[in-house]
Amino acid sequence: MFEFINFYFIPGVVLGFIYALGAVGISLLFGILRFAHFAHGDLMTFGAYVALMMVTTFGIPAMGAIPVAMLVAALLAVGIDHFFYKPFRESRTIILVIASFGISLMLRSTVQFFFGVDVKVYQRGIQRPLVFFDTLRIAERHLWIVGGAIVIIVLVHLFLTRTRLGKAMRAMSDDADLALVSGIHTERVIMATWGIGAALAAVAGVFLGIDTQLHSNMGWDQLLPLFAAAILGGIGRPYGAIAGALVIGMAEELSAYPWIGNEPLLSPGYKTGVAFAIMIAMLIWRPSGLLRGRVF
Amino acid sequence: MSSLLASGIVGGYGGMNILNKASVEVSKDEIAVIIGPNGAGKSTLMKAIFGLVQVREGQVTLAGTDLTNCHPQVLVLQGLAYVPQVRNVFPNLSVEENLEMGAYLNPQDVPDALVEMYDLFPDLKPKRRQAVGELSGGQRQMVAIGRALMSRPRFLLLDEPTAGLAPKVMGEIFECILGINQTHVGILMVEQNAKKALEIAHQGYVLTSGENRFSDTAANLLANEEVAASFLGG
Repeated sequence: MFEFINFYFIPGVVLGFIYALGAVGISLLFGILRFAHFAHGDLMTFGAYVALMMVTTFGIPAMGAIPVAMLVAALLAVGIDHFFYKPFRESRTIILVIASFGISLMLRSTVQFFFGVDVKVYQRGIQRPLVFFDTLRIAERHLWIVGGAIVIIVLVHLFLTRTRLGKAMRAMSDDADLALVSGIHTERVIMATWGIGAALAAVAGVFLGIDTQLHSNMGWDQLLPLFAAAILGGIGRPYGAIAGALVIGMAEELSAYPWIGNEPLLSPGYKTGVAFAIMIAMLIWRPSGLLRGRVF
Repeated sequence: MSSLLASGIVGGYGGMNILNKASVEVSKDEIAVIIGPNGAGKSTLMKAIFGLVQVREGQVTLAGTDLTNCHPQVLVLQGLAYVPQVRNVFPNLSVEENLEMGAYLNPQDVPDALVEMYDLFPDLKPKRRQAVGELSGGQRQMVAIGRALMSRPRFLLLDEPTAGLAPKVMGEIFECILGINQTHVGILMVEQNAKKALEIAHQGYVLTSGENRFSDTAANLLANEEVAASFLGG
């Protein structure tokens, strides 16, 4: 029982919260701009490496470097939007998707150019987990990640429901034309969405780096589960994306549990396949997602 | 000279002109109605006035100020508000949030304006935390009109405010429009229920193929036999 909780359930929850931070951004961006942002995973990588630079230069812990990573990623995303996506605002969706694919390659290559392709870590050495009730082991970093993600999700919720800009963001996601007619500054809303989406991606990247390690492909590899989570929750529905992310994260980890016999049900190498299977199933049987979002 | 005037409007989508020198004028504190067959360009004219359709010739002026092809945000600040025929509410936002979005450019007015809206539409008050997508057609229309009024416009543009509503609800919406007009808001509306609309209007315009067929006082149009036969459904 404790083996299940320690090695499958807790890692699943942690992974779910990391996915949630990325998937919320994808969902918000889709709601406002109506295109699937393929460079979102690489924004995660970018944020993770900005934090690595802070960690190695100033010797601060990775958690402390998060605000800087968020800020730099947000500014970068607003800049990218201005120079690469804005000129295509009136074009067909597929053009923006391809443009974002190009941005994704550029971001990854930039990271590889400056940091190389080797695996990096924020902190060397083994961290002993905290032990509760003799058998329940929780790594301290997992508590930080889950706690941090919950705080950030609550802040995003308050932003979306209590602030003028947050409400305008939801309004524009509902109906961009009516938002324009109401006098809402639509370009300003788009900028805010990029800033928030990228900042959340940066946190997800740093958390992923804390949980495992850093690699120039780390974000790109998460793209599939991130989209699976966003689609599962109903695209354009940030709250659905959070729920979807938890389901995907758990499903990925729990699929490796020896449910039948002593062998893992699925080899951990097939984790991504689980997210993919869920995504395909949703697209076939319920493309609007659990919370009835938009259809791709 | 404090009227809303659109004169000789030529414009449309893409390369096509749907409007061929259409003109309407709404005097201060009055109601003007645009009627005409489907495809006459009634909705397009409303959009052209509100900067959503390119005006190639002609002029839109509000109290003498040229507002031709202005960005909707500028028009809202100048005192115009527009309620589209369809998709005129934010379905996933609550009633109150919908209304707040109408006052996006004057957030300091929100508390007072909300009180006014709930006075005008008392049915909406108990539902103010509910998502608008869950409301009935009539209530959604009230939210749509309320949203536009939140910016405290001098002129309100309504595109078929009673389309698809039950006769009883239709009457309520017409009552509301009269009530709004009495608070010194000029109203320009497109309406399928031509006869009912002309009965509450001061001025009327019959549009066919993007140009004015008749422009007269509402009373004269109602009395005109040709208008009655062709456009008021007998």
